[in-house]
Amino acid sequence: MLHEITLNINGEPYPVVVKSHYTLARVLREQLGLTGTKIGCENGECGACTVLLDGAPVNSCLVLAVEAEGHEIETVESLSRGGDLHPLQKAFIEHNAIQCGFCTPGMLMSSKALLARNPHPTEEEVREALVGNLCRCTGYVRIVDAVLDVGSPVLEAES
Amino acid sequence: MRPFDYYRPEVFEEAFRWLLLPEKKVLPLAGATDLIPMVRDGLWQPDVVVDIKGLPGMGDLVVTEEGLRVGAAVRMTELVHHPLVNSTPWNLLAQAAAAMGNEQIRNRATLGGNLCTASPAADSAPALLTLEAQALIRGPEGERRVPIASFFVGPRKTVLQKGELLVGVLIPALPEGTAGTYVKLSRRKAGDLAIVGVAALASPRNGGYEWRLALGAVAPTPIRAPEAEAALNAGHDAAAIERAMHCAFDACCPIDDVRASAAYRRAMVGRITQRAIEGVLERLS
Repeated sequence: MLHEITLNINGEPYPVVVKSHYTLARVLREQLGLTGTKIGCENGECGACTVLLDGAPVNSCLVLAVEAEGHEIETVESLSRGGDLHPLQKAFIEHNAIQCGFCTPGMLMSSKALLARNPHPTEEEVREALVGNLCRCTGYVRIVDAVLDVGSPVLEAES
Repeated sequence: MRPFDYYRPEVFEEAFRWLLLPEKKVLPLAGATDLIPMVRDGLWQPDVVVDIKGLPGMGDLVVTEEGLRVGAAVRMTELVHHPLVNSTPWNLLAQAAAAMGNEQIRNRATLGGNLCTASPAADSAPALLTLEAQALIRGPEGERRVPIASFFVGPRKTVLQKGELLVGVLIPALPEGTAGTYVKLSRRKAGDLAIVGVAALASPRNGGYEWRLALGAVAPTPIRAPEAEAALNAGHDAAAIERAMHCAFDACCPIDDVRASAAYRRAMVGRITQRAIEGVLERLS
């Protein structure tokens, strides 16, 4: 069964025809070419496919594309505009919070949502917010440091 | 993933029409956090999924004369943060919702889905058992209510008949001074299913307290532990708590699975029960 829908992604309307059983992750990557979002476990365990739906982090592998119609979708592609990296992206680079990079888009999106609702998180709160994002390279310490390092005024100015 | 058709009805009549399609395997869809992995693994093979999130009342979170009514499509995150749920004593449900999954899952998963999937380890179930919630069920013939204690009939099995939908739960009001806690043991601090989950609740009654205890992940369904409750109702001193721990141990009949052996679950159920009771006592003081 086909659905003619419009997805609002990173502030832009994307008209697209999707099959009922296609997940948002699949449509983002395969139909819209937004391959920043990664597909890992496809089970809601790893968080590599995390995007924001109306500001809240979700596993895009557990959302049907047709369910996402009418909602605001933000992917990792939204972070850097016009070549300027987002403060979180800069902090990840400064802290070497990346090895293979596969988990990074999901980590960034979960972190962005955390800082939007809690600009000054404690280490515990950062770890809690990233429970659903698995990294098999860095051991999380540098990722947590990078998120803690991002100053809230920058994010507030952006939003 | 095996293809299926998707419908999102806005009135119940249409939902029932889809749910009762002859010769089709039809499944309701709420948060999809269980459904999509099950379909992907081939364990469920729906021809049609019916998204229930657009149906009237499914997203409700309201206080009525009878208590707190939570629509089946209310998401776990909403339960964690909503002021109505966080107000004592219903905040036991907020604790249980916060213990479930991770942020991304809680942002999609719904209370109705957690109940209808009917995992013995469902975090919301022990909380709702001690809150003595009613399952609100609607079908083509009308509505019926079932106590949560009778809602689960086995692992992944509920009383729901073909064509019926869980539309919400009703949590009765409890006396002021009631306190509850949910304590969950899992392999990591967060983001995993329960090895043992225990909800404890105490309500002031006749100068003492009426206790309710429920155990998750240690029997084919989430269960109440009435003997353990009786042990506490006479007074919750150290000896009574010890008796309650033993009664909880006797009440459970766990299985071995990937998360823990039956022996480990049995060994832990008493201790987690103790922690839940002590959590309630801290809140009472």
